[in-house]
Amino acid sequence: MNQETKTYRKGEIPGVIAINARECKGCDACKRFCPTGAITGLFGATHRVEVDLCISCGQCLVNCPFGAPYETVDPVDEVAAKLADKRTTVVGIIAPAVRVAIGEPFGMPVGSLVTGKMYSAMKKAGFVILDNNFAADLTIMEEGTEFIQRARHALFGEKAEHGGEIGPLPQFTSCCPAWVRFVETNYPAMIPNLSSAKSPQQMAGAVAKTYGAAQVFKVAPESVYTVGIMPCTAKKFEASRPEFQSAWHFMKEKGATAASKPYPDIDAVLTTRDLARLLKKMKINLAAENEVEGGTLFAEYTGAGTIFGNTGGVMEAALRTAWVVLTGTPLARIEFQAVRGLKGVKSAAVTLRDRKYGKEVTVKVAVVHDIRANIRPLLEDVMAGRSPYHFVEVMNCPGGCVNGGGQPVCDTGSSWIGRVLPSFAWS
Amino acid sequence: MSKNDPNHEFIESPFILSRREFIAIGGIIVALLALPAVWVRSALINRNQHIQARTRGLYKDDVTSKIRLSHENPAVMKLYRDFAGKPLSPVSEELLHTKYVNRTKALA
Amino acid sequence: MSESSFILKHPLRVRVFHYILAASFLTLAVTGVMLYFKLLAEPAMNTAMQVHVLAGIVLTLDALAFFFLAFDRVVLFTKRTFTFSGNDIKWFAVLGGYPQKILLHRKVTVPPMGKYNAGQKLFGICVLVGGTLLILSGWVLWTIPHAVGHGAASWAGSIHVVASWVLILFLFVHLFLGIYMWDDFKAMFGDGRIPYEDAAEKAPLWVKNDLRRLC
Repeated sequence: MNQETKTYRKGEIPGVIAINARECKGCDACKRFCPTGAITGLFGATHRVEVDLCISCGQCLVNCPFGAPYETVDPVDEVAAKLADKRTTVVGIIAPAVRVAIGEPFGMPVGSLVTGKMYSAMKKAGFVILDNNFAADLTIMEEGTEFIQRARHALFGEKAEHGGEIGPLPQFTSCCPAWVRFVETNYPAMIPNLSSAKSPQQMAGAVAKTYGAAQVFKVAPESVYTVGIMPCTAKKFEASRPEFQSAWHFMKEKGATAASKPYPDIDAVLTTRDLARLLKKMKINLAAENEVEGGTLFAEYTGAGTIFGNTGGVMEAALRTAWVVLTGTPLARIEFQAVRGLKGVKSAAVTLRDRKYGKEVTVKVAVVHDIRANIRPLLEDVMAGRSPYHFVEVMNCPGGCVNGGGQPVCDTGSSWIGRVLPSFAWS
Repeated sequence: MSKNDPNHEFIESPFILSRREFIAIGGIIVALLALPAVWVRSALINRNQHIQARTRGLYKDDVTSKIRLSHENPAVMKLYRDFAGKPLSPVSEELLHTKYVNRTKALA
Repeated sequence: MSESSFILKHPLRVRVFHYILAASFLTLAVTGVMLYFKLLAEPAMNTAMQVHVLAGIVLTLDALAFFFLAFDRVVLFTKRTFTFSGNDIKWFAVLGGYPQKILLHRKVTVPPMGKYNAGQKLFGICVLVGGTLLILSGWVLWTIPHAVGHGAASWAGSIHVVASWVLILFLFVHLFLGIYMWDDFKAMFGDGRIPYEDAAEKAPLWVKNDLRRLC
């Protein structure tokens, strides 16, 4: 795309989502889902996406009654070619939300958990499995440790180990690329509050092309082709961010890669819909597959990692580990019901005894999803200094990634959570 | 116009429909109109069913997992042992952490 | 039964309902076609949509008012349009004699009809069913396409388009014949009266069974 854009850097994909003018009826349904007001066009006239405002979340796409928005990036053929190339190790990095939705295009009931069949279908296609739930567990380690560091610094004045700067509270999660771009484009003052941890997808890509290439797949790192399999269209944008070539830089310094030009940590991203299309093209019927294991070290994951796909899941996973790490005692109850469910903003207060400092602290957390409706008041509170929270999980999509812009479009319902309000032609 | 208006000599009889016919047909009309009302109401109530179904699927995956805490994942422990050291180590900072961009300023 | 005898075919409330129906439906059809084929530039499309919505509201209110204030006429109309017999099939076989009369200037015998001939009954059914579908799907599309779900909204869109086209195409016939039959046109758009002789020829079963003589 050769466009003059203001909020994209060189190499980033501007305009993952566009609207097909022939299909658009101007009904304005999409505008009711766009978190950034990036859709222009009067009621009754064809609508357009303003790419400088768009965060590529795809909510307009999954909710349009007429299927007018579409993705401008389609890597299915490229991935198919790589799968057929014997010299390439194609690593499929599968997000949690995919395993409860990939059965749907193959006729299975909505929400069927099909992990085993999914592994089998993908292995048949030629993928090596890296379950993104493994990377989610890794994210909890990194982000959880970062949070504990920030909290102990704020509460007890603890300094960083290698004397670096410690970020402020509240800490916001950073695994949602639409949310990250939302902050970068609308609330840059909140950038220091974002966790420095990468998203699980990007961690997975970096690990696959370093430790993975050397110790797990035992191939040259430049022959590894990483494919994110995501419920999310914004992940296509995220993978194109120019700083995400960390694996190449790391290996180059060690003299461990022959490639002279940088390669990205994530080479391609397939949405759940794209994967279904790829499998069907290869005549693989996921529904008929037997359940199998993932088969690699990277396919091992915990229950905490898998709930990342739900709103509140990241927070619950973080609380489970934070409790055990901080208190040194096991959890009485593994589930944290207070952060579950479809309420726009959920909050919880967890009182625990930090064994390192021997003090009791109450950690106040919040979980926000459907940012179109729910994020601004919370951010205003944070910027005005009156927010009570220490840690906030943010997911752009209503319900979390299970309802992401890359998921199969569902006839049975809209993604829209709140009250029913009529619209008017003159609004 | 009064009944004895000289402009017209004939009108339609008010007794074309029997009471039974009136109730039967009227009832069918109302029933048929109730159908779309029920359909729309059901569509509104069930609009989030797919989200809830997928959400339940992931919580089921959690409940049936052998290990349910991230720091107990043996593969993650192996990764740190063999490669990254510990969270926030220099290797972790380089590969697993990132910086962000203020997009309201002019970008490179 | 002198030549100047008249029947009140369309009482005032029926005529008022029909004026508003005709005006709003024609507006809806014209703006609807503009929107469907995307004939105009953006600001004009927005205006066309706003006019379409406004006319849709008028038509809905008109239909609701008639439904509640003249429910007996609604039931009667429904009964008449949904009552078919072998005569109606035979009527269709000769197309009511209209093409022969208009194009060939030949008179053809036509089976005896009630107040509505077979073609009018078919049109009446289309209006009842199609009109209801258009009103319901139109309101869903205007107010809650985002809330009923992608599947339901898509169905509403398809129903709206199919029903519109059926009615618009049939409307051409209705408009032509409605004006060609000048006495009937004068009845509906004038004082509601039709000459007895005319009715006895065109709708003999109606004249025989459904009328009552005044005084």
